[in-house]
Amino acid sequence: MEQATVVPDAELRQRVVDSIAMLLPKVLKRDVPTMPEQTRLFDELGLSSASTLELLLELEEDLDIQIDVEEIDQTDLASIGSLADFVSSHALTDE
Amino acid sequence: MTALEAVSAYLPAQRVPIEDLAGRLALGERQIKVFRRFHGLGEVCREPDGTLLDLLFGAASGLTELRGQEHKVRYVIYARGMPVGVPYPMNPLHDLCGALGLGHAIAFTVTHHACASGLLAVDVAGRLLASDGEPGALALVLAGEKTFTRDAELVPETSVFGEGAAACLVSADGEHDRLLSYVSRIRGDFDGRLMADADLLARFQKEYPEALAEVILCAVEQAGLRVADLRLILPHNVNVVSWRRMCKRIGFPVERVVLDNVPLTGHNFAADPFINYRTAAERGLLRDGDAYLVAAAGLGAIFSAMVFLH
Repeated sequence: MEQATVVPDAELRQRVVDSIAMLLPKVLKRDVPTMPEQTRLFDELGLSSASTLELLLELEEDLDIQIDVEEIDQTDLASIGSLADFVSSHALTDE
Repeated sequence: MTALEAVSAYLPAQRVPIEDLAGRLALGERQIKVFRRFHGLGEVCREPDGTLLDLLFGAASGLTELRGQEHKVRYVIYARGMPVGVPYPMNPLHDLCGALGLGHAIAFTVTHHACASGLLAVDVAGRLLASDGEPGALALVLAGEKTFTRDAELVPETSVFGEGAAACLVSADGEHDRLLSYVSRIRGDFDGRLMADADLLARFQKEYPEALAEVILCAVEQAGLRVADLRLILPHNVNVVSWRRMCKRIGFPVERVVLDNVPLTGHNFAADPFINYRTAAERGLLRDGDAYLVAAAGLGAIFSAMVFLH
């Protein structure tokens, strides 16, 4: 049965951060240098709400997870770090 | 006081999966996935062999309360999102009036509030009837459009249009459903074509939530209510994710937003709130005395909300 699992998993969180770094050039369609976790997704990176959703979709495919997006808030989309926090604690796993 | 006397909806039988529109709308596989996974979009209603008159007639002929009351109808108001629907000199609204026995009524179109024009039309209808002061007089409000160009099929990164239509009877002095408040904000700084202006699209996406929330909260306050007093929100059907975020912002449970039609019909221009009204009625979600809010946004841009008492 598929169920939401809170995963306070440092290993998964690091994989999310690495995956975001790898996927940003694809989603933004331009080169993106390595950014610190506090980099703001909208103001500094130029992501839009639509491209953030594309990034979530790409993260699901890259990490082979499903993200429970029902609870996602604007504050979760503030920075690379806050997005990694959200994704790593809202991964749906098959159990 | 302006009141919705009756509402009907017409959804063409043909349902087209959004994947079938991808080629014509230049939507990539990833965009379609985002639409399905996050926006909650799935299919849209289309009637490729039908005319605009067929669509409006489908909505109006479902309004059984109109029958026998045609002589009371003083105004027929068509709420359009797109300014132009047919080439001159065709006039399906006048053809419709003839077909319905409403040739005596004053018929005109309001398009100035884009996809929020349905709310504008209800307000205009009520105010015209009130100023006439003729007891029992009615107005027929219509909404629904053909998806005949790419701009009439897609809101970039946001939604896909369908051909659902709706009709309602409005009075100035009815008991149900009474209009308690109407708030509308015109934001001319969003004028332009989202499909051709990426900066405008980004700015609109960024400021949309606050602008829509502001009219929703203002309409609730003007109705003398709190958000928690609302039984339902009847939304426009742009997508699910924006309503989830809106609910968090205004503190309202998303389960009480009638989003049933987003995956089935897509966004039907100015007709969505009325189509969703029918869904709420058919599901028995509204009881006498319930307050509910209707919300819509139009490109260009307009943000509108109304509160009614059922």
